[in-house]
Amino acid sequence: MKKFHVIIGVVIVVALIILVFWVKSALKSNYLELGSNETIDPTPTQIQSIRDIGEWEFLSISAEEMVDTIRKGFFTDDELVRIYYGTLRLGIDMKSLADDAISVKRDSVEVVLPKIGLLDKDFIDEAKTKSFYESGRWNSQAHEALYRKAQRQMLHNCLTPANLEAAETNAEAQFRSFMISLGYQNVSIRFK
Amino acid sequence: MVRWVLLAIRIWNNVMRQKKSIIIAGSIVLLLIVFGLVFGCRQQKQPANIQAGLAQGVDTVPMLIMQVQKCSKLYTAEYRVHKIITHDDALRLKGQLMSKSFNVKVPLADRKIAIPMDAKIKAYIDFSEFSEKNIECSGNKITIILPDPQVIMTSSKINQQNVKQYVGLTRAHFSDEELANYQQQGREAILQSIPDMGIEEMARANAAKVLVPMLTQLGYAESDITIAFRQDLDFKHGYQGLIRMED
Repeated sequence: MKKFHVIIGVVIVVALIILVFWVKSALKSNYLELGSNETIDPTPTQIQSIRDIGEWEFLSISAEEMVDTIRKGFFTDDELVRIYYGTLRLGIDMKSLADDAISVKRDSVEVVLPKIGLLDKDFIDEAKTKSFYESGRWNSQAHEALYRKAQRQMLHNCLTPANLEAAETNAEAQFRSFMISLGYQNVSIRFK
Repeated sequence: MVRWVLLAIRIWNNVMRQKKSIIIAGSIVLLLIVFGLVFGCRQQKQPANIQAGLAQGVDTVPMLIMQVQKCSKLYTAEYRVHKIITHDDALRLKGQLMSKSFNVKVPLADRKIAIPMDAKIKAYIDFSEFSEKNIECSGNKITIILPDPQVIMTSSKINQQNVKQYVGLTRAHFSDEELANYQQQGREAILQSIPDMGIEEMARANAAKVLVPMLTQLGYAESDITIAFRQDLDFKHGYQGLIRMED
């Protein structure tokens, strides 16, 4: 009788082991996941306007600005931190070059160039912006305000007299080189 | 032991005596919590308050990285482009059970967003390597050989006021990181569509518009000026007669 019990016990254990292996192999290919698509839908890019321009750039200032805003709350403060990227281009708008800006006398040339300035006030690449930190919920007005803040800071930090002077010096050097390439020995460059 | 029991009874009696004051204190704390929650919610819902918060926002992490570079680039053509970035974020339950695969849409878990975006694309001719090698003179005639135009996206702007989004009951709102990710994808899509725009041809044609008036001021007749490019292009332009193509 005792031997019979041992045999039954062994059979049960073996059957259990077989069952475990069978269930394991049956469930091997099973999986369950909850997910969503992260890519944007394909939409057309429309050309809104085409414009002839004549902007001669002499100094390019690439800026990276980290801007944040805090909203005071009763228990905790909400915060939004974004990193904006922009490139300020300093140079001359050649459309404002006067009709008598260049005067030639034998092998000498005198050029009066328009004032160096910011070529385009739209210099932030907002679509390149990185989100650094966000707590709380922020609406589109908050994003717009941050953009304006980054724009102001970039202008303040990059549009400095030193950078304008550097652009002017480079413009002078480039125009001098251009005129020498054209065969003029004596070149005089002035700014309005 | 008896002493401890007596002490416990005494404390209980004191508590019962002060029950009224505990209830009053508790009510005050509860009122403060309710007031705090209401005040907090109101701040989030009203845009005016957000604006006020932004105005008072403190820059705790002002940081600036600048790269200043001298260059000589003549931008001759500008395209303004518009794109509506859309994203349909439906939550799906995918899986395989007993060798049977399934892919079902989770109800009330849809999210959709549309982000209007404007960008400026400009084409320029790089004059930094320009030298006498780019100029050919024979008598009164002058030929200027220009390098190939380059195209760059100079700026982009998200039309924040017109961003539309729909969020299902069981989903969280779009985070700033997600929005930035979709915007970057939209930017890449615009960059990929640049070759089909024909901006390079326009840049070549417009280069003459800037250079020819300068050369006429130097004493060259318009008919003696040739602006040359390396690639054979055919474009209709006022200065077409002045442009020669090189292979």
